[in-house]
Amino acid sequence: MTAETKEIPASYATAKAFCLTSAFWMMVATFYGLLGATELIAPDLTANIGGIVFGRVRPTHINLVLFGFVTPGLLGAAFFFIPRLLGTPLYSERLGVFTALAWNAALVALVATLAMGLTQGREYAELIWPIDVAVVLVFALTFFNFTMTVARRQEKILYVSVWYVLAGCILTACTYALGNVIWRPNSGALVGIPDAILLWFYGHNVFGLLLTPLSAGVTYYVIPRATRAPLYSHTLSLLGFWSLIVVYTHIGTHHLLQVPVPTWLKVVAIVDSVAMVIPVMAFLINIWYTAKGKLGEIHADVGAKFVFTGTIMYFFVSIQGSFMALPDVQRVTHFNNWVVAHAHIGVLGFAGMIALGGIYFTIPKMTGRPLFSRFLADFQYWMVLIGMVGFTIVLTIAGLIQGNAWLNGETVYRVLPQIHVYYVTRAGLGLLIFTSALLGFYNIVRSLLPQRGAMP
Amino acid sequence: MKMTPLAVIVGSLLILATIVFVVVILPFAHTSKTVPSDIFRVRTAEESAGRATYIANGCVYCHSQSVRTIDWDLGAERIAQAGDYVADYPILLGSQRTGPDISQAGGEHPDDWHMAHFINPRYTRTLSLMPPFEFLGPAKLDNLIRYVQSLGFKDADKRMTRQRYWKAEAVKAYEAGPDANVAWLSAHIPQGWRDVPNPYPTSAAGLARGHKIYQDFCLGCHGPVGDGMGPAQQWIYPPPLNFTILKNREISGGILYYQIMNGITGTAMPYFKRDLESEKIWDVGNYVAVYFINDSDANTEPRGIDAAYEP
Repeated sequence: MTAETKEIPASYATAKAFCLTSAFWMMVATFYGLLGATELIAPDLTANIGGIVFGRVRPTHINLVLFGFVTPGLLGAAFFFIPRLLGTPLYSERLGVFTALAWNAALVALVATLAMGLTQGREYAELIWPIDVAVVLVFALTFFNFTMTVARRQEKILYVSVWYVLAGCILTACTYALGNVIWRPNSGALVGIPDAILLWFYGHNVFGLLLTPLSAGVTYYVIPRATRAPLYSHTLSLLGFWSLIVVYTHIGTHHLLQVPVPTWLKVVAIVDSVAMVIPVMAFLINIWYTAKGKLGEIHADVGAKFVFTGTIMYFFVSIQGSFMALPDVQRVTHFNNWVVAHAHIGVLGFAGMIALGGIYFTIPKMTGRPLFSRFLADFQYWMVLIGMVGFTIVLTIAGLIQGNAWLNGETVYRVLPQIHVYYVTRAGLGLLIFTSALLGFYNIVRSLLPQRGAMP
Repeated sequence: MKMTPLAVIVGSLLILATIVFVVVILPFAHTSKTVPSDIFRVRTAEESAGRATYIANGCVYCHSQSVRTIDWDLGAERIAQAGDYVADYPILLGSQRTGPDISQAGGEHPDDWHMAHFINPRYTRTLSLMPPFEFLGPAKLDNLIRYVQSLGFKDADKRMTRQRYWKAEAVKAYEAGPDANVAWLSAHIPQGWRDVPNPYPTSAAGLARGHKIYQDFCLGCHGPVGDGMGPAQQWIYPPPLNFTILKNREISGGILYYQIMNGITGTAMPYFKRDLESEKIWDVGNYVAVYFINDSDANTEPRGIDAAYEP
């Protein structure tokens, strides 16, 4: 099976709209991250400005990264390659652009409501009911648009990227509605321990059934295209796809290993967390063997470079994740900055890198022109890479200091001065990432605009 | 395997439905029947309103509410049980401890300490990185304090009863004047501790260590010069002790050690035995004695055999 594409007459308005959405909200999302990081080192800097108190900034950062930057970026590429892989134009560009507009409206509402303190208080499921409905709706519309495109396809065989995008959209619409307890508009929650189990089932599925499948879809498109190589193995594609859906959905309770939830559920979560090696390695071996001996081609295309780096980060974050699900490891890593480091490898290093890569890989093909500036894109690559690896290093060190000190009987307060310097470094690296988002936005806007003079 | 659109969509939905049944619905079947634990009680209207403020301001992102068997910090006297959460809607377990776990925080401090701490956390805890919450206004802060004081339910209520009893006693003693106040404070220290001088000699290094501990733990209330005029002072009653009045009032190193270790329940003076090890308490006590009381009994008899490190 190959990622063969057909030239089709299309404006790619939807794909462009999603790329712009991603680039814009990456700026806002990383600004919120930088703001939160700054507040942790200078808590009186923003004293008594209720709208940006840390507890409202943090969920805004996380939701914007997930639903503002990464998901639209991955969908931007998908709205380009799904029609190409199916040999037919998108079912409806008007519906697609409308979806993108509705998506942006939901993101604006997200920022406003969280700033006002309107939240349901559940991590990854903070958004109030009207926004929940909007999110489910935009995923449903996206799924509908893709499905109708599939129905009109000229190419008989569905390429693996199409599987992942279809599954990612429909499964997310379902688990988002379920995890946000959408049938209870006022609270969006269950009561007590069942609420924790449902929340983390959903919380982990944001990565397992949204970011990972969409990232895999983009990777399966970009890497074979950039290397002009057929996909290494159809069997591995099948194994990776189905095992991802089976295994990833079991593991949410590994967030609750130290909480009084049923032991058998913890066992399921731990066993499946280790079993995550199967979908992860099936996917990675497939991609890496496809690219074997062709790293030069990947290096030559900045989009493919982002994507390939994302696959390496996927390896690290997944193997780390499997280990972190072991109770003995969690004695040290739970509740501290180790987990924050892990989250940044996953969402910025893996899914974020691939989202940016998808955007930079597909934009020249949408416009028929090279990127406005390859240099700026490459510069952004290094800023994101250094910032993200830097995050991982300093936050992992801080987490180890916290975790070991706590095990040793030291109080949370006592450890604060020891991790301060790492918080300062983290904020500095956050500035790097935020700056890279500004450069990226400029580059992407200029690349999509009709060009009057381009930079090298 | 032929991957038709139907196979992809229906197949993944069927898998999801099966797994939802296994990892969500099956556990729901018996976790939803959890019975309340021995400490559980229903929250009052004020406490529920405070909980809403807690949620609206994202307190859950820095404070867990789930004490583990391996914990030593705040709340470590009680490991979380499923029955503690039967009325939590939503549950607020939290995933980070940027600040301490507060599931059992009720009654750890009196209300006035909390008010000073919410106005600016650095007033009571100088190293804190928690945001100031003065912007919430007095009404919401009052409810928030009611919520925090309810954490731990019946255990918290017992601690609050203790806080209120000793608050009344401490206010009475404070209002009776410095002589009566100091006598009252010392009277509640076991005689053995009162008779113990600081067993270690005053040294420049020891004073420097004491100075550092004082800045990190004491300065917010007792002030940089030990006169009880730290920034938290205006929110606290009885006000933080002015150390300079302790001169010639028979304050031993043992009294200072005991008060720092154990705190004075009812007043804003917390216990520091979880934060500070023995040497740090002796050092900061001697720092206070040397600099603010100008009367240290360090290294006087009875002091036992000199410790091995002494020069």
